[in-house]
Amino acid sequence: MSVISKDLRSFLALLEQEGQLVRVKEEVMPEPDIASAGRAAANFKNGPAVLFEKVRGYNTKVVTNVHGSWENHALMLGLPKDTPVKDQFAELNRRWDMFPVPPKVVSRDQAPCKENVITENINLFDVLSLYRINDQDAGFFISKAAVVTADHNDPGNFDKMNVGTYRIQVKDKDRVGIQALAFHDIAVHLEQAERQNKPLPIAITLGNNPLVTFMASTPIGYEQNEYEFVGALQNGEPLEIVQSDLYEHLYVPAGSEIVLEGYIEPRVREVEGPFGEFPGSYSGSRKQCVVKIERITHRTDPIFENLYLGIPWTEIDYLMALNTSVPLYKQLKRDFPEVVAVNAMYTHGIGVIISTKCRFGGYGKSVAFRLLSTPHGMPYSKVVIVVDEFVDPFNLEQVMWAITTRVKPDKDVSIIENCPGMPLDPSSVPAGMHSKLIIDATTPVAPEPNPRDVELLMPPAKTGYWEDRLKELWNKGGK
Amino acid sequence: MTCPRCDSENVRIMVTAPVDNAWEVYLCEKCHYSWRSTEDIHISEKFKLTDEKIDAMGVIPPVPPLD
Repeated sequence: MSVISKDLRSFLALLEQEGQLVRVKEEVMPEPDIASAGRAAANFKNGPAVLFEKVRGYNTKVVTNVHGSWENHALMLGLPKDTPVKDQFAELNRRWDMFPVPPKVVSRDQAPCKENVITENINLFDVLSLYRINDQDAGFFISKAAVVTADHNDPGNFDKMNVGTYRIQVKDKDRVGIQALAFHDIAVHLEQAERQNKPLPIAITLGNNPLVTFMASTPIGYEQNEYEFVGALQNGEPLEIVQSDLYEHLYVPAGSEIVLEGYIEPRVREVEGPFGEFPGSYSGSRKQCVVKIERITHRTDPIFENLYLGIPWTEIDYLMALNTSVPLYKQLKRDFPEVVAVNAMYTHGIGVIISTKCRFGGYGKSVAFRLLSTPHGMPYSKVVIVVDEFVDPFNLEQVMWAITTRVKPDKDVSIIENCPGMPLDPSSVPAGMHSKLIIDATTPVAPEPNPRDVELLMPPAKTGYWEDRLKELWNKGGK
Repeated sequence: MTCPRCDSENVRIMVTAPVDNAWEVYLCEKCHYSWRSTEDIHISEKFKLTDEKIDAMGVIPPVPPLD
């Protein structure tokens, strides 16, 4: 196993060494070049990160598509870049069980994110090379921040400190809008503060260790701390964090490129959006919260990291793929040990494939019910496909085989009406409500009758040997 | 100058480029739309804003009662 990168710059160096980073040295325009390159990089199967060294009018470099391929995802985990997705899922599950690994708190002078401080005449454009991501966005959005807030009524409780990714619209040199949907942890913190008409302290961290970004967009429990999961995913090595300059109860990753500190203005809502969202369409405009930025700290010669999101797949789909699959798998596995794997990679878990052994008739459908009652599955998941334990849910050809040869539509396809839905899903009407579809593609087991039991075709005895041998010959040019 | 989205004249310069004054970014103080002087802006009819549309917008998250 190679080294797991501890900050963005060391990860970019690793990507470059592995041929997964492209440098653009010529000057580019903020629009439409940066977003277009993000889309283009995602159009390649093994898409690289793209580092722009010079953006017209700005001082700061920009990098995009850092998580935007399975090769980059594997390298983030310190695995060889050709590691199959299913193996990355298995490795994540192994490390997940090391949670909690408490972070290491370092002193201010040991934290690179504190190398430079701006407290007067705050101007985000001095340190962030901001640009429009999609044509009809309402402005320049920050799409890849790890946002830190704490429980307002229990600020010293580290477990309740939240690190999450929320879309951020730049509204002035020192003011941004932020989307806090009611089911997000930040909305819990905000409600506590707003009930008392108090500002909610916030730290917006940018250009992070790729595993911090990964965990910030992972659905975990309210009292589970993201930093302790990063330590687990670093194979047990603690993440280094440092106290915020303005708020003693907030901690930020010590290696962040840029940290914006400030507060959410209480009981204020302003027009925000539209913004091109992860389901591949624009969300409309709503009245949303506003953050006042009071302090910026940053590394010397900082790098601004942002992501493009468009019709899937783009960078965000790689980022929110296995980090959605693993927690759902853990929640199912706890009650149903027969579950083998969960692939929740489709639009942040709106589409899910579960493979499970069935202990008795109706088992597959019941496992789908359980998925639809998990905290994330309840609002998000809409299409659930259940396959046998010998079907790889990450192999869509196999999944389609299971559907085409196992499903009897009149009994195996179920629609459940009037359930929660994901509001950004454009087919959710009214936004936030939906029906659910379950396709049970498992083989019937007793007491469900299986009147046409079949014998599966098994691979010939030396298939494994020949896979290796053919690869060897192939690598030598077929000779 | 008017806002290309809501036609308000309450528009100001938000910022000038930190390097070479290469561009300006404008901000509508009514609907918070922003754009850069180097962009060619075309707002889709679907996203144009009027007072009625702004008044009818959802509030996310809802503002809770005071304790």
